[in-house]
Amino acid sequence: MDSILLRARGTPDSQSLTTYLAAGGYNAWEKVLQMTPEAVMNEVTLSELRGRGGAGFPTGRKWSFIPKDHPGPRYLVCNADESEPGTFKDRELIEHDPHLVVEGIAIAAYAIKAATAYVYIRGEFGRWATILGKAIADAKKKGYLGKGILGSGYNLEIVVHRGAGAYICGEETALIESIEGKRGFPRLKPPFPAIAGLFGKPTIVNNVETLACLPHIINRGAKWFASIGRPRNTGPKLFCVSGHVQRPGVVELPLGVSFREIIFDHCGGIRDGHTLKAFFPGGSSAPIMTADQVDVRADFDACAEAGSMLGSGGVIVLDDSVDIVEAAANLARFYAHESCGQCTPCREGADWAMDILERILAGHGREGDLDQILRICTYASNGMTICPLGDAFSMPLSSMVKKLSGEFERRIAAASRLPQKKKPVLPWSGPLPGFGQ
Amino acid sequence: MPKLTIDGRVIEVAEGTNLIEAARQAGVAIPYFCYHPYLSVVGQCRICLIEIDKQPRLAVACATPVADGMVVRSETSDRVREARKAVMEFLLANHPLDCPVCDQAGECLLQDHSFDHGLDTSHMLETRRTFAGLERRMLGPHIVQNQNRCIHCSRCIRFTQEISETAQLTYKARGNGVYVDTYDGTPFDDPMSGCTADVCPVGALTVKEFRFRKRTWKLRSVPSVCPGCSIGCNVWIDHHEKVVYRLSPRENAAVNATWICDYGRFLAESLNRHEVLRPQRQIDGQLQPVDWADALASLGEVLDTASSLRVVASANLSNEELFLVKTLLGGARRADIVVPVWTGEQRRMKNGSGAWLQSLDAHPNAAGARRLGLRLVDHGGLARFLYGAADVTVILDPLAHPFLETDEATQLLRVGTTIVFARLEHPVTRLASWLLPTPSLACNEGTFISQTGAVQRFAAALAPPQQSRPLWSILMALGGELATEELPLRSPAEVFAHLVQTEKGFAGLDWETLAGTTDTAQRERYHGG
Repeated sequence: MDSILLRARGTPDSQSLTTYLAAGGYNAWEKVLQMTPEAVMNEVTLSELRGRGGAGFPTGRKWSFIPKDHPGPRYLVCNADESEPGTFKDRELIEHDPHLVVEGIAIAAYAIKAATAYVYIRGEFGRWATILGKAIADAKKKGYLGKGILGSGYNLEIVVHRGAGAYICGEETALIESIEGKRGFPRLKPPFPAIAGLFGKPTIVNNVETLACLPHIINRGAKWFASIGRPRNTGPKLFCVSGHVQRPGVVELPLGVSFREIIFDHCGGIRDGHTLKAFFPGGSSAPIMTADQVDVRADFDACAEAGSMLGSGGVIVLDDSVDIVEAAANLARFYAHESCGQCTPCREGADWAMDILERILAGHGREGDLDQILRICTYASNGMTICPLGDAFSMPLSSMVKKLSGEFERRIAAASRLPQKKKPVLPWSGPLPGFGQ
Repeated sequence: MPKLTIDGRVIEVAEGTNLIEAARQAGVAIPYFCYHPYLSVVGQCRICLIEIDKQPRLAVACATPVADGMVVRSETSDRVREARKAVMEFLLANHPLDCPVCDQAGECLLQDHSFDHGLDTSHMLETRRTFAGLERRMLGPHIVQNQNRCIHCSRCIRFTQEISETAQLTYKARGNGVYVDTYDGTPFDDPMSGCTADVCPVGALTVKEFRFRKRTWKLRSVPSVCPGCSIGCNVWIDHHEKVVYRLSPRENAAVNATWICDYGRFLAESLNRHEVLRPQRQIDGQLQPVDWADALASLGEVLDTASSLRVVASANLSNEELFLVKTLLGGARRADIVVPVWTGEQRRMKNGSGAWLQSLDAHPNAAGARRLGLRLVDHGGLARFLYGAADVTVILDPLAHPFLETDEATQLLRVGTTIVFARLEHPVTRLASWLLPTPSLACNEGTFISQTGAVQRFAAALAPPQQSRPLWSILMALGGELATEELPLRSPAEVFAHLVQTEKGFAGLDWETLAGTTDTAQRERYHGG
């Protein structure tokens, strides 16, 4: 398949507006301005585009949740927080084709009748925030954004808002809180953002990659888009392959190719002398899949059927050199650090699971530890918390413990009964400044 | 109105009610930590999980509004019971379990819910999380913080954001390291700071003035009304063995929801102060103890034979006392009665609908005096009143007005016979011809009228110390000595009933159902406080 989303990769000066216009850029935007918002929404619904941020919710349906008779304002938020471990596709899109993202934002904003769009970009992405800011400024200078765009009555301002380094702010309601200037605590749902989101107004939050699909859908039609991939899993998808492969990086493939194709045909296979042990199909929050599941199709439905999820498409490949206990402890450390601290099961559970894994690693595992990890995972997921972060740490940990239990059990069997070391001091819970008492 | 089933009980409740309140009405107690009826709903403690028919996941009761035909299962669902056990285990995983040395023990939601919904044991083998430097520190002048005990319910934070509106408290750090602090690290000097300890379901925030003074299960609570200002916040007087240990808020949505300000809260200690403890009479420039019976007989004579009589009443007195004064001394005795009032510091309170009530009136019952038709005077009026001459002057409460403390006032009161009813030593008690002991609010019962016109009853927590007696009882006894027709009244309740008959402003009221005292049952601790 020819590159669609990443067609500008390799083109010299691909970030500039001139290059983008020469390749037919903003044609879709001009076309959209002649259409009604309902027609745009309809086209996207017909394309069967599913959100690329992780949940895979149909984009057209998400837009349709905006109350028809709301007086406004409505907001569109582009989620460029991209903090999921193993995911780096949005950065790639912004790096090579910022105007494609800007055009996508404009189309989506038009479809939901928003006059302001926010791009919430990960704090660490300073360079890409600058690139996007420049693209927005250039587009505005040419009249593609701003007031009375291209002679139509439509106004649109795009604001780039940088995050401050919290994984949780990629969750849409925490992201909204963060834009509002508050602490990034996810909100209780309902109400969903489409009803009461940013500043209490109807808001749609879409991923960068989702939005980047829109200009192509408008240009070439929903039918063409739906012809790529498989039924209900349509369109091209960026897969971020990392870990022990020969050529890691972002590859663009239609949804529904197998993980074997992704890993072995497009990324050169496992590095020399090693074999595949397991892989995360969609970022570190997805349940792990073992080598025998490598022929599963990489699409939303097939992954769900196989007991995992496509998530963001961040394929993390682990070869036989990986100690799965160490990998699990590393993941647990990440989620314990990134839990916002709001809900009891996630706040206490992530930390607890981390402590157990650290203890097993240190050679002091005990019988019953694995049961306890599974118990924590059961009661921190599946609706026990406000946002899916509880699920995000439970799913990979429980799947690792269940599917690769042998490695954990060997560690525990070899454990000593020596006194335990003191719990390592976490970087954020050291002595607090200013309290002498 | 939606009709739903909770644990098999069918109930009809108002639209928009959440499941915790609906269950409460159905007689089913759903446990909660972070939920508070007067704070916003955050749904973060997760203990109120319930099972709703046809919903695959458990839902939080606090954030789920009722719907018609809903079938809800709380303790009757195995899934719910297991989930609650798990949440309790999570909450206790890092909790220090220092109940024996924790002052919250006995009124701790974590203890209660642990007994009702928790496991007997814990699977926790790891080193517990601790917060170095935050185990025992003064968060502000009144609040002691022990962050190790915190269960992160955010009630205190929401209280400062939504109720006191100082927004002083916040979470800092994240994950399991989250702790409560003021935004800028400055002392937590909110004028309602004590309420954060009330809403704290555990012993993370405690009040410095109360902690370690009395184990809470020994306390007995009596409904009363705060005497601090004219807003009339409903309070509990928490006492044990003749000592008042604290005032805590008593729920009344129209006045103070479940809050009281720090000024009112810390009046508790002053209710224990009694310095005048026996009737005394000035003989040869010295106050000499006398017998109550002798004192009353002599006083009856003094009052009966006085050619001119004036009374400085007080807006700190109950309606019943003011009425007795008005009837016994104002009626046949033709006494000139004034009620001095003065402007104090501004006090603020937020009621249950989120509106601020403000008061500059330093008395609890100026509205009552007004309704009884008594003459209210300010500083100048009181001075003019005292400059006028009288044979006998009765001062019912030296704390009625600061003017009474001045040299000017004491000089004026040296003329003629001065009868003083007092609890504390005061410049006028030293010059009194007769000094009669009256106890504090904690030993009295009666009614006050708040600035909004609500007639609120307060009950007596303690018996009056030594020989001091509530003013109403002294006045009624005195009534027997006076040469007038007798009032056959024996208690404030009877006085009030009489008042309802004779005073227009009180018509139609009933002592038994007065605002704020209908629910004198065991106090609801789930709100905290």
